[in-house]
Amino acid sequence: MSDIVIGIADLKFSNNRNDVLVTYALGSCIAVAIYDPAAKVGGLLHYMLPDSSLDAVKARATPGMFADTGIPLLFKSCYNMGADKRRIIVKVAGGASILDNTNYFRIGEKNIMALRQIFWRNKVFIDNEDTGENYNRTLRLDVADGKVVVKSSSGTKREL
Amino acid sequence: MIIGKILQLIEHIPAFPTVILKAGEMLKDDDYSVNALTDLIKFDQAIAANVLKMSNSAYLSPRHRIRTIRDAVIYLGQENLVKVVQMAGVSRFFAKTGRGYVSTAHELWEHSVAVALMSQILARKILKRDDETLYLAALLHDVGKMVMGEFVYDSFGIIMNMVARQSHSFLEAEEAVIGINHAALGGKIAERWNYPEEIKNALTYHHRPDLARDDDMITWLVYLADQICLLAGFTGGMDGLAHRGVSDVMKKFDFYEKDLELGMMQLVEDLQHARELVLII
Repeated sequence: MSDIVIGIADLKFSNNRNDVLVTYALGSCIAVAIYDPAAKVGGLLHYMLPDSSLDAVKARATPGMFADTGIPLLFKSCYNMGADKRRIIVKVAGGASILDNTNYFRIGEKNIMALRQIFWRNKVFIDNEDTGENYNRTLRLDVADGKVVVKSSSGTKREL
Repeated sequence: MIIGKILQLIEHIPAFPTVILKAGEMLKDDDYSVNALTDLIKFDQAIAANVLKMSNSAYLSPRHRIRTIRDAVIYLGQENLVKVVQMAGVSRFFAKTGRGYVSTAHELWEHSVAVALMSQILARKILKRDDETLYLAALLHDVGKMVMGEFVYDSFGIIMNMVARQSHSFLEAEEAVIGINHAALGGKIAERWNYPEEIKNALTYHHRPDLARDDDMITWLVYLADQICLLAGFTGGMDGLAHRGVSDVMKKFDFYEKDLELGMMQLVEDLQHARELVLII
């Protein structure tokens, strides 16, 4: 079994059942893990910002930076490996804030909202999520069986 | 009492590398001597080695390949040279194995580098220039954690429990359990190093800029740079996001969410170009 690490503003996908896709240190960023159990194809995105209109040039060079460029690319990449939209299971983690989120630094919330909008428009349902709150997370997606485990900074593990 | 032991320990913390201070002084003069500066840097072998490792990073974008300290002094330019020497020297305080407080010393160093780079992104935007004092303060802001990590290993679980129950911020939990928080401890270390007030204050109040002076730009900017890095996930420790927000910071700098987002984006790019800076530990 080998870990494939997805860095910030990056995405990767695999149909090798020996692979585990993993991303660390999610703060306000969001990890989107998708999996087709029939095709055994998994993909993982770690995006940082909600909207690519912030910098179109950057979005072309690094589509994984933004929700609206990263999420479509994640799905397309997995379709190319044989995944089917009707079968895809979607799990999401991240979008945290600092304590007393006094109406500034709302990047975590904005990231969650962006994701919901994109999914709603495209009729995609989130099967399970661990979002918001005030802690860092690590997410692992096992390509063999699609199992997703989120570990929080305090050490607790939770299967999504 | 743990706090007594910790404060005693500060007395034994290694001296701050004099080369950094001397180089800083020399580089304040636009007419600095290349030979004198080269000799000075070579005098501290650890710093010299790090200067060479870091000099060819894309972040500093040297136009020439740098092979010797003399090359670095000639080609890096005044401003970059100050930063490289500061980083090369400060890294030694992060070189130990981190225990408890930081998952690894390397992670805390990566966080420190990220905050230093972020501080300059903010300085360029807000002050319209780079700022070397700010850079050094940002690089050192969590140095208290290194000392804490060594000696409060046993208390660490209790602190994290209080934070996990969300009844306390990390700072409040530190104060309740240990009697001092890592920021205040950092301030005491800066005092021990005879640091200027502005750096001492930045270390002390980097989570509570509202307790610092209103015009203390360095403290407020270190605070903001730190928060942005914590949010982006360059956390360097177990405290993560367990810090209370001080929302005045946005109004103070006439900052909007878009500015934060642009800053985060720039940070990711700068960090990609700064691998050599992170890897000196």
